[in-house]
Amino acid sequence: MPTESIGNELALLLGIAWLLPLAGFAVEIFGGFLWPRVSRTAAYIAVACIGIGFLCSFTALMKWGNATDWVVLKGTDSHHASAGEHGGEGHGDEGHGDEGHAEEAAHAEHAEGEESESGVHHDAVATTFSGTMYSLGTFGGLEVTLDWYIDSLTLLMFTMVTLIATCIHVFAIGYMSDELTEDHVDHEVHTADGGHFHRPGRFYKFFSYMSLFCFSMLGLVLAGNIFQVFVFWELVGICSYLLIGFYVERKSASTAANKAFIVNRVGDWGFIIGLMILWTYCGTFRFVGEESTDGHAAKPGLFEMVRGNDGQIDVNEEEDVVYLRDAHGHRLEDPETHEPKTIPYALLIVAGLGVFGGCIGKSAQFPLQTWLPDAMEGPTPVSALVHSATMVAAGVYLAGRFYPVFTPEVLLTIAYIGCITLFLAATIAVVATDIKRVLAYSTISQLGYMMLGIGLGGWAAGLFHLVTHAFFKSLMFLASGSVIVGCHHEQEMPRMGGLRRKMPITAYTMLIGVIAIAGLAIPGTVIAFSGYHSKDAIVATALAHTNLNPGHFLLFIVPLVTAGITAFYMFRLWFYTFAGEPRDQELYDHVHESPWVMTGPLLVLSVFAAGCAIGGEQGFLYSMLSHSEPAGVATGVEAAAVSLPGHDLIHDVHHEAGVMALFAAVSGAIIAYLLYGAHVLNPADIQRHFTGLYTFLVEKWRFDDLYDAMFVRPSRVVAGWCAATDRVVFDGILHGACRAAINISKWDRLFDEGIVDGLVNLVGNVVFGIGRSLRVVQTGRLRQYIMFIAVGVLTLFVLLFAFFPKY
Amino acid sequence: MDFNTLVERVVHDTTQVSLWLFAPELVLCVTIVLLLFVRLFNADRFIPTYWMALLGALVSFMFSLTQFYQLRTEVLDSSTFFTGLLVFDQFTAFFRLFLSLFLTFVVALTVLSGIPDEEDGPDFYALLLGSTIGMMLMTSANHLLMLFLAVEMTSVPSYAMVGFLKGRKLSSEAALKYVVYGAGAAGVMLYGLSLIGGLLGTANLPEMADRINMIVSGEAGMSDATVRTLMLAALMVLVGVAFKLSIVPFHFWCPDAFEGASAEVAGFLSVASKGAAFALLVRFCLALIGDPSGASLSNMYVSLGIGIGVIAAVTATFGNLAAYAQTNIKRLLAYSTIAHAGYMLMAVGALLVILNAPADSGINVHTEAIRCIEGLLYYLFVYMFMNLGAFAVVALIRNEIFSEEISDYAGLSQQAPALCICMAIFMFSLTGLPPLGGFFAKLVIFASLFKAGTVHWSMWAILAIGGLNTVFSLFYYIRVLKAMFIAPATEQSKRVAVPTIASAYIITVSVPVVLLGIAIQGLSQTAQDVANVILP
Repeated sequence: MPTESIGNELALLLGIAWLLPLAGFAVEIFGGFLWPRVSRTAAYIAVACIGIGFLCSFTALMKWGNATDWVVLKGTDSHHASAGEHGGEGHGDEGHGDEGHAEEAAHAEHAEGEESESGVHHDAVATTFSGTMYSLGTFGGLEVTLDWYIDSLTLLMFTMVTLIATCIHVFAIGYMSDELTEDHVDHEVHTADGGHFHRPGRFYKFFSYMSLFCFSMLGLVLAGNIFQVFVFWELVGICSYLLIGFYVERKSASTAANKAFIVNRVGDWGFIIGLMILWTYCGTFRFVGEESTDGHAAKPGLFEMVRGNDGQIDVNEEEDVVYLRDAHGHRLEDPETHEPKTIPYALLIVAGLGVFGGCIGKSAQFPLQTWLPDAMEGPTPVSALVHSATMVAAGVYLAGRFYPVFTPEVLLTIAYIGCITLFLAATIAVVATDIKRVLAYSTISQLGYMMLGIGLGGWAAGLFHLVTHAFFKSLMFLASGSVIVGCHHEQEMPRMGGLRRKMPITAYTMLIGVIAIAGLAIPGTVIAFSGYHSKDAIVATALAHTNLNPGHFLLFIVPLVTAGITAFYMFRLWFYTFAGEPRDQELYDHVHESPWVMTGPLLVLSVFAAGCAIGGEQGFLYSMLSHSEPAGVATGVEAAAVSLPGHDLIHDVHHEAGVMALFAAVSGAIIAYLLYGAHVLNPADIQRHFTGLYTFLVEKWRFDDLYDAMFVRPSRVVAGWCAATDRVVFDGILHGACRAAINISKWDRLFDEGIVDGLVNLVGNVVFGIGRSLRVVQTGRLRQYIMFIAVGVLTLFVLLFAFFPKY
Repeated sequence: MDFNTLVERVVHDTTQVSLWLFAPELVLCVTIVLLLFVRLFNADRFIPTYWMALLGALVSFMFSLTQFYQLRTEVLDSSTFFTGLLVFDQFTAFFRLFLSLFLTFVVALTVLSGIPDEEDGPDFYALLLGSTIGMMLMTSANHLLMLFLAVEMTSVPSYAMVGFLKGRKLSSEAALKYVVYGAGAAGVMLYGLSLIGGLLGTANLPEMADRINMIVSGEAGMSDATVRTLMLAALMVLVGVAFKLSIVPFHFWCPDAFEGASAEVAGFLSVASKGAAFALLVRFCLALIGDPSGASLSNMYVSLGIGIGVIAAVTATFGNLAAYAQTNIKRLLAYSTIAHAGYMLMAVGALLVILNAPADSGINVHTEAIRCIEGLLYYLFVYMFMNLGAFAVVALIRNEIFSEEISDYAGLSQQAPALCICMAIFMFSLTGLPPLGGFFAKLVIFASLFKAGTVHWSMWAILAIGGLNTVFSLFYYIRVLKAMFIAPATEQSKRVAVPTIASAYIITVSVPVVLLGIAIQGLSQTAQDVANVILP
């Protein structure tokens, strides 16, 4: 099989999928000039671009599978059959070491060296491809390039993102249709005269931003070096900013956009620090190395440098440094001094934490979670695409992609951050009443699960949950969008109720999403929605981790309890909105089911939300993902401080964990039914009993107040001081200088007009004064001029003699 | 040697050597004659005279370029010609290039702006070209007589050009003032020249320094009355040059003349006559000093340099401060011209100080002197573009709104954006903001002043004043831009539609201003080579 060409083919296909939305953006942004305001052309272009992108991505996925003989699926089966252990294809020579079945299908994965430009291989099938698209330039020792890196994770992400984006684009044609007008009235914006704000519709602009976002997101996934990731990281950030602030005239929207942007800057600050450390010590940004055509002088990438090819960090305990290694696992040496190249262990931790800081910001993890709920000010399709399915998941994606560079300490931090976040957000979701905000907090909580999974060593479990979550959460957001449109932009759940009778498709597709996220299943059968499998995998990892490290038992208890809370608040949402009797009859009377252009995507997504994880850990999705697992994850890590569970340990507790998680979920669902479905208990009574706690939760754990007191107000005070200094001191100096200049010139003018002219007039009057007939022709000034020649020359004479050497 | 041989030699010298070296001037002479003939035979109805003038200027420029190139590639050598009355070296060639290039630009501008009208064309261009010939002679003068003749040849057509707007009272009055003032200055200068010639027994510039040294080293030394008289005479010559440069206190003609003259003429006078006068000043000062020798005279010349520096500082300060109160753009630019003459004169002061530095001052005299002249030449070259550009904008806007008051420029940027943006470039370059040409030019001059400060501290004071002046000047330049860009258009303001070709002209002029601030190497190196040639 021509493995050299398959890499290039994949890169071409994904490159098309990546660049098409950019082309779309370039056209759509001029929609105001090109088409009338009522034209849907921009939307069709956007849908076409992303739709073709999906086809390309899917084709690429199939091509990859065929080229690798679906080694992934075969390998998985045999592994699970034998020991329930899955040997993932790693980055670099996969060292299966002691595994007895290394000669099996995994043998085929015994890839020799990391692939170069187009994946050069000698004796096995390549599954990972990387290369360079374009070199932007070389700055000193730094070569900034556009690289691509394609493995099964990349392909899955591409397919998932383009599929969901296509659905959401189609949905948005319906959702945004009220922008198709010359005179759009924004009822949320009140003008000074008591009316509403009028503006031209911005239909085309919405789709151009969406296209730009798709381009950025796909670029982020395709990126082959961390610097490129950063570039697209910022691009998705700016798209998020533009889309949150789409209704820019609304104060809340523009504030939310600013908040999202600024909070993300905090995380990106850490990201940049991480980049600087890695660049200083490793001298490259590439993920994996680059092999020159003759196979020699390979420049290793970050992953090989830190983890070698066996997934272990080579630490020198005495000096607390980490040896950097080349693609073959040998220690790197300085070519001149022959000293081994090292990076201080502490700095490697800082670099990992820094990059993870970026992930915290992007994925709205504790303590930077506050921006995401506010980001719901954007149109609902944006919330579905950017703020639940893709962009916020980019933080998790990066944490997974960059896993080899994280030290065990960083991984533990990731786990705890995820653990705190998932609990905190879930508790707030319990009391939220705005339908989109419940989903937003749920998103934060689920992202916390993913982070937890990755931090605990359940690499594939975390990313598994990423993909399943993307489907069911985008489904639920779109369903909520459908509800919002149906209710004429009412988002408060207490005013809804009983909507399932008016909008059945929305209600039941939403129910599928709710069941999926809650993780319900019928034990002992294969009937289980996607969320069950993925959450199950994370909880199993957590349980195995706790068995190994009993000290960190919270990392298991909290997610388990939260699984119950999740089921509770999600069913609460559904019962509140769709079940029971209408609470606001007037609203209810005007509710209508959404058109097909909106319900169609709901149906498509509900199929995937239900079935994308079919087969669980033996299924297609999980096998694909775990195939890209970094080296060393599968076997687990035995260490004095924190051990990470290997696949076998996780598998042992899988059943136990599954039962516990299901029990928690079912309890949550039942409680929700009792409170909101069957009205056995009155929620208001419970609220009264726990007023303090309730208020605390409604105020979102007071994080906004805390940040306001800690950062916003102090910085306002400092800004006030700066402004005052500027006004008083600097402006004072400047104004003083100006005033001085004006005064001097005034004085000069006075001098010129008064003294000089006066003197000249005087002299002129005395000397030439009387009887000169020229006076008639002249204004009198010419005489002064001539006079000044004489005076000037005489003065110079006097000066010359005064300074003439006296000898 | 009998008379025939003498005649033969003169003829040979003239026809075989001098005429070729004199080619750029000759071309202009021929053009003038042709212009007058055309007028005589009424052929100017068929051949627009400005094309002839433009062609003449261009051909003259081509000749200058060729000669400059030949000098640099050493096909031609420096020499004197016309029996030693004129000198031909890279310095001459550089200024001829400068003047003919500038002449081309000015003629092109007059074509665009329509002054003079067709009736007066031949007369105007004859005057313009004649004045340019005088300037070219100024830059190559090697003899006191030529010096005076050249100055007068420059001045007399200038007087007429200032008064060329015959209908305007202001114009005639300005011309008359200019004539009388010029006559006064010329009188002082001529007196000085005759004194020098008489006392030294020679009128050849290169011989002056030796003769002075002879007198000083004579018995009476510095206390000899002859030396004092000589210095007085030199001072009077400098006064004549100062008049051309509009140096305080001999600047009074400048604002009135510029206000009265059309903007095109004012632009021509402000650049060309200044350039030529600076060339003359440098030549005269270098001839006066000769090869630096004799401690007593060195002190004398350092004092002279400081004196020139102080006058330069006063001039720059006066020009800038007086520009504040102006409401008429041409008067404002006139005072700005005075200020810029001050900056450039600082370089001459620094040159004198550095050339006569005591041996123990620890500076490389030759390198630093080269830098002084380099600064002057660079400044002149940039100044040519930016000042011409400013005056050209004034002329073109005048054609549209019939006003030269700054307040009438309100809101102009909406209607003529290209013009206004270029004007901003010119103004910022005149102020000396990076990255424009004016910045680098000032930088070199200030750098040479700084070096001169190590010889005598007062140059540092002059440097400080120069720096302060740069800041001051920003305010009044900005005022013009404020009117153009910020002030809203008033009810009465007229519709403005500047022709595309005119905008293109302005943009063409503004490009070198920007380029000279970025790509400095070429001109800087050329200026250094030129300076290297004329230094002893």
